[in-house]
Amino acid sequence: MDYIANGFLKALNLIVSMDMELYKIIALSIFVSVSGTLISALFSIPLAIFLGLRNFYLKKVYTRLLYTFMSTPSVLVGLLVALFLSRRGPFGWMQLMYTPAAMIIAQFVLVTPLMTGLVFNIVNKRGKLIEKTGRLLGARGIDLLILIIRELKVEITMALLTSFSRAISEVGAVMIVGGNIKGHTRVITTSIVMFNSMGDYEIAIALGLILLLISLLMNSILYGFKGDRQ
Amino acid sequence: MNIRLKNLEKKFYKKPVLNIENLEFTKGLTCIMGSNGSGKSTLLNIISGNLNYENGQVLYNDKPFTKDIYSSMTLVEQKPYMLSRSVYDNVAYPLRIRRYTNREVHTKVEEILQNLQITELKKNRGDELSGGEIQKVALARALVFSPKLLMLDESTSNMDKKSLENVERIIRNYAQMGNTVLFVTHDLNQAKSLTENIVNLQEV
Repeated sequence: MDYIANGFLKALNLIVSMDMELYKIIALSIFVSVSGTLISALFSIPLAIFLGLRNFYLKKVYTRLLYTFMSTPSVLVGLLVALFLSRRGPFGWMQLMYTPAAMIIAQFVLVTPLMTGLVFNIVNKRGKLIEKTGRLLGARGIDLLILIIRELKVEITMALLTSFSRAISEVGAVMIVGGNIKGHTRVITTSIVMFNSMGDYEIAIALGLILLLISLLMNSILYGFKGDRQ
Repeated sequence: MNIRLKNLEKKFYKKPVLNIENLEFTKGLTCIMGSNGSGKSTLLNIISGNLNYENGQVLYNDKPFTKDIYSSMTLVEQKPYMLSRSVYDNVAYPLRIRRYTNREVHTKVEEILQNLQITELKKNRGDELSGGEIQKVALARALVFSPKLLMLDESTSNMDKKSLENVERIIRNYAQMGNTVLFVTHDLNQAKSLTENIVNLQEV
């Protein structure tokens, strides 16, 4: 049991000791996950609003597919992205495999169905009423889109934070497409797996605590938003 | 604005809910009455362009639905949706999307809030008002951009007597200014006190 307690103590020491390797890992994790989530948001939010407001042929089938993709295992996403980006794949010529860009693409693919599904659900419930109100007051096109996003900003922010949490905590996809290369593609989750297998528990625990801290921060923001609304 | 309905037919899940052979609404105030399910709200939703219909024609000044017509009419429902911002910003919204200047917005909003006697509510959040207050703010939000066609679907049902008298006076004046006002109500006395033009919709 001592090694766990010692691990925690050394981990806390590591966090406050300005260890460059540790901070590089944290910075890359945040950069990759924030980028993947934000790029996905640009694509997912307008798409979800459009799909949520319109009635179209096979909407129910689409909804079921979307909900299925929301829970796709991250290793499967990693595998699919790797197949496309690997040297023999259709995008192999771009030489993105084992780069942070590949990790961002993987996280984009991973969180897009989740974010689209969450926003789609919200728009399906409240969006139509907002759209009708906007139309009755004369809003069209971009004014209408801005109105819907503004009215649903709390729910959309919650969807964004949920997607970011999924992105930063996943390990399978970034491990496959990033390769966990030191100083290049090593992020918190892949490091925890590696340091654990090496028996280097201090840094693994330190990174685990950091991950927990980020989750805590995300949850605080999320509940802060919920609280504001209530 | 004149509204002419010709052979208008609307069905919900194959069940007919509205069947109007010929009906015309001219400038001024018209009250629409009818029992529950007679299609009053459906009719207003069709005229406002929010609902499609199976057969027939809806003509606005003898022309079909266009963008210009769309931006010069509005419908206030019984339970209007309030935007999650202040009452002032709710009322200012239709003017802002029509690109009015800040000074114009301020003048018009203050004026309409004063007319409807809700100036004291202007800093309150739109989604934290009572039923009657919501109806007054929704009416202010509709009147602020001076639509040629104003449709009110039981929009005064939650108001107290004093507010109701004031609102009815405003609606009458608005209709006398050459605008078309369609007012759906269940209250025959209210309809009679407002206008002589009363249309009674029959259940299909």
